[in-house]
Amino acid sequence: MRTTAILVIVSLLSLVALMLPSILFLAGRMELATVKWVMLLATVVWFAAATPWMWKQTG
Amino acid sequence: MTAKQQPQEVTSSSEFEREPVPASRLLGFKSFIGMYAGEHTAGTELMIGPLFVAAGVSAFDLIVGLIVGNALAVLSWTLMCAPIATRTRLTLYYQLEKICGRHLVTLYNLANGVMFCFLAGAMVTVSATALGVWFKFEMPGLNDLYPNSVGWVVAVLFVGGMIAVVAAYGYQTVAKIANVAAPWMVLVFIAFGLIGLGQFITASNAKIDSVSDVWTLAKTTIWKGGDPFPGRTKFTFWHVMFFAWFCNMAMHIGMSDLSVFRFARKSWYGVASGTGMYLGHFLAWIAAALLYSVQLYQVDLSPAELQALASAGLLEEFQSHEMILSADTIRQLIAQGVWAQPPAVLPGPMAYRVAGLTGLICVIVAGWTTANPTIYRAGLAFQAVIPRSSRFRVTLGTGLVATMAGMFPAIAMKLLDFVALYGLVLMPMGAVIFVDFWLIRKFGLQSSFAERSGATFNWAAGAAWLVTLAIAWGLVEFAGVQIYFVSLPGWFVAAALYIGLSVVYQRRIRPAIGQAEAGPTAAQG
Repeated sequence: MRTTAILVIVSLLSLVALMLPSILFLAGRMELATVKWVMLLATVVWFAAATPWMWKQTG
Repeated sequence: MTAKQQPQEVTSSSEFEREPVPASRLLGFKSFIGMYAGEHTAGTELMIGPLFVAAGVSAFDLIVGLIVGNALAVLSWTLMCAPIATRTRLTLYYQLEKICGRHLVTLYNLANGVMFCFLAGAMVTVSATALGVWFKFEMPGLNDLYPNSVGWVVAVLFVGGMIAVVAAYGYQTVAKIANVAAPWMVLVFIAFGLIGLGQFITASNAKIDSVSDVWTLAKTTIWKGGDPFPGRTKFTFWHVMFFAWFCNMAMHIGMSDLSVFRFARKSWYGVASGTGMYLGHFLAWIAAALLYSVQLYQVDLSPAELQALASAGLLEEFQSHEMILSADTIRQLIAQGVWAQPPAVLPGPMAYRVAGLTGLICVIVAGWTTANPTIYRAGLAFQAVIPRSSRFRVTLGTGLVATMAGMFPAIAMKLLDFVALYGLVLMPMGAVIFVDFWLIRKFGLQSSFAERSGATFNWAAGAAWLVTLAIAWGLVEFAGVQIYFVSLPGWFVAAALYIGLSVVYQRRIRPAIGQAEAGPTAAQG
C-alpha cells in the first residue's frame, strides 16, 4: 500500500518533469538539448513508476 | 481519430454481447473521461494537424473551426448516441441485428472491418516514419501514392508485422500498455506544441508579451491561410468544422459507441467525449500543425529536399527567411522542377526535432497502441463474417492486410479524405438506428423489425444504407460537393429512406409477420 502510494507520487512528479521543460523552453529559460534529456528521463521514470500500479488498476 | 481503446472493464465484459448490461455493471463518469482522453490522442493526430497546414488553413479557421466542430461532436455523442445506449444497453452489433437481421449485419461488419484495416494501415505508416530517423531510408512524400523505397517497405513490414503478431497474441497486454501510456502521451503531444511555438518565436524573432501577440504571430506567420499546397484541397472554416465534427462520425452519429455508453449510468456521460475532442482533436492537432509549420519556416527538411534547394541556389534565401515556403513558392519550386512535390509530412522526424528520443517513442507508441485495438476489432468484425475461423489467425491476417495498406502512403497522406469517407460509409446505419429507436413507431411501423419478423436481411435498412452511399457518391463525383460536406445531408437522406422503404417493406413485403407481433421491444421498454 505504502509502495503504491510512493509510486503514484513519483509517477505524478515525472509527469510534471515531462511538461516543465517545454514550458521553460517556451519562456526562453532552457536549451532544447536539455529539454530533450529531461523529457527522456521523465519518460523512463513514468513508465517505471506508473506501470506497476496502473497495470494492477486496469487488470 | 482512432478505433476503440476502451477501459479494461468495458472490453472484458464480452458476456453482455447479446443482453442488456445489468445495473450492477454500470460505470461512473470517470471511466469515460480517461477512456476518451487516451483514445483520441493517437498516432494519426500527428498526420492530421500538418495536413491542415498543407490545406492552406488560416489561424482563425483552424482554431474556431476546431472549437465549434469538436463541440458538435461532443453534442452528437451526448444527444444522439448515449441516450439510445443508456436505454437499450446493447452493443451496436446486437442492436443492428435486431433491426437489420443477421445477414445485413454481416455486410456491415465487412465494411467496418475493411475501413478499420485501412485506418490501422495509416497508423502503421505513422509509426514506420519513426524508423526513418534511425535508418535514413527514403520516406514517402506528401503526394506519394505508392511505396517509394525498399527501406520504407521493410520498415512498414517490420512495424506492421510486429503490431499484427502482438495484436493476435496479446491484445490485452497492449491495451494495458496503452492505458499506462495515455497520460504520458497526452502531455508529450502538448509539449510538442509548446516547444514548436517556442521554436517559431525564436526563428521569427517575434516579440511576445501577451496572448494577443501569440495570436498575431499565429495569424501572420504560422497559419497565414491562402492557397493550399499543390495537389491538396483548400480548407476553410467550414472544412475544419465539418472535419472535426465528422471525423469520428462512425462512433457518435454512426452509433459505434453504443457499445461503450451501454455501460454509462447516465446519458449525459456523453460529455466525457469532450476530453478526447479538446485534448486530442484540438490541442494535439494544433501541436502537430505547429510542428509542420516550424519545419517549413526553418526549412528543416529531408536531405533530398535540402539538396534540391541547394542545387537550385535557393537554400540560403529560404534559410534566412528572405523567402518563405508558402503554397506559392512551393508551386514555383515544383514548376521549376526543383521539387517533385511539397515537403513531406513525416511524424517521426517532426517529433524527433522537437523532443528527441521521447518524441520518437511517442510516435511509435501512439501508432502502436492505437493500431493494436483497431486491428483487433477489424479481426473481430471479419470473424463475425466467418464465425468458425480462429480469432488468432483472423487477427494476424487482418494485421498483415493493414501492413500492406500501410505501405501505401496514400492513405496516411490523404488521411483527411479517408477519415471523411470512413464516417460516411458507416453513418447511414446510425441514422437507421436513430429512426428505429425514436421515430419509426410514430409512423405506425415497428422497431427492431428483423427480430420480430425473423428476417435475416431487412431490405428497408439495407437499401437505405446503400442508396444513401450511392447518392453521396453521386454528389461528390458529379455535383462537385466535397466529401466533407455530404455526410450531413446524407444522414437525413438515410433517415427518410429508411422510413419510406419501411412503409413498403413492413406493410407490403412482410405484412403478415410484421402486424402479428406489433408492440414495443423489451429492450426499448
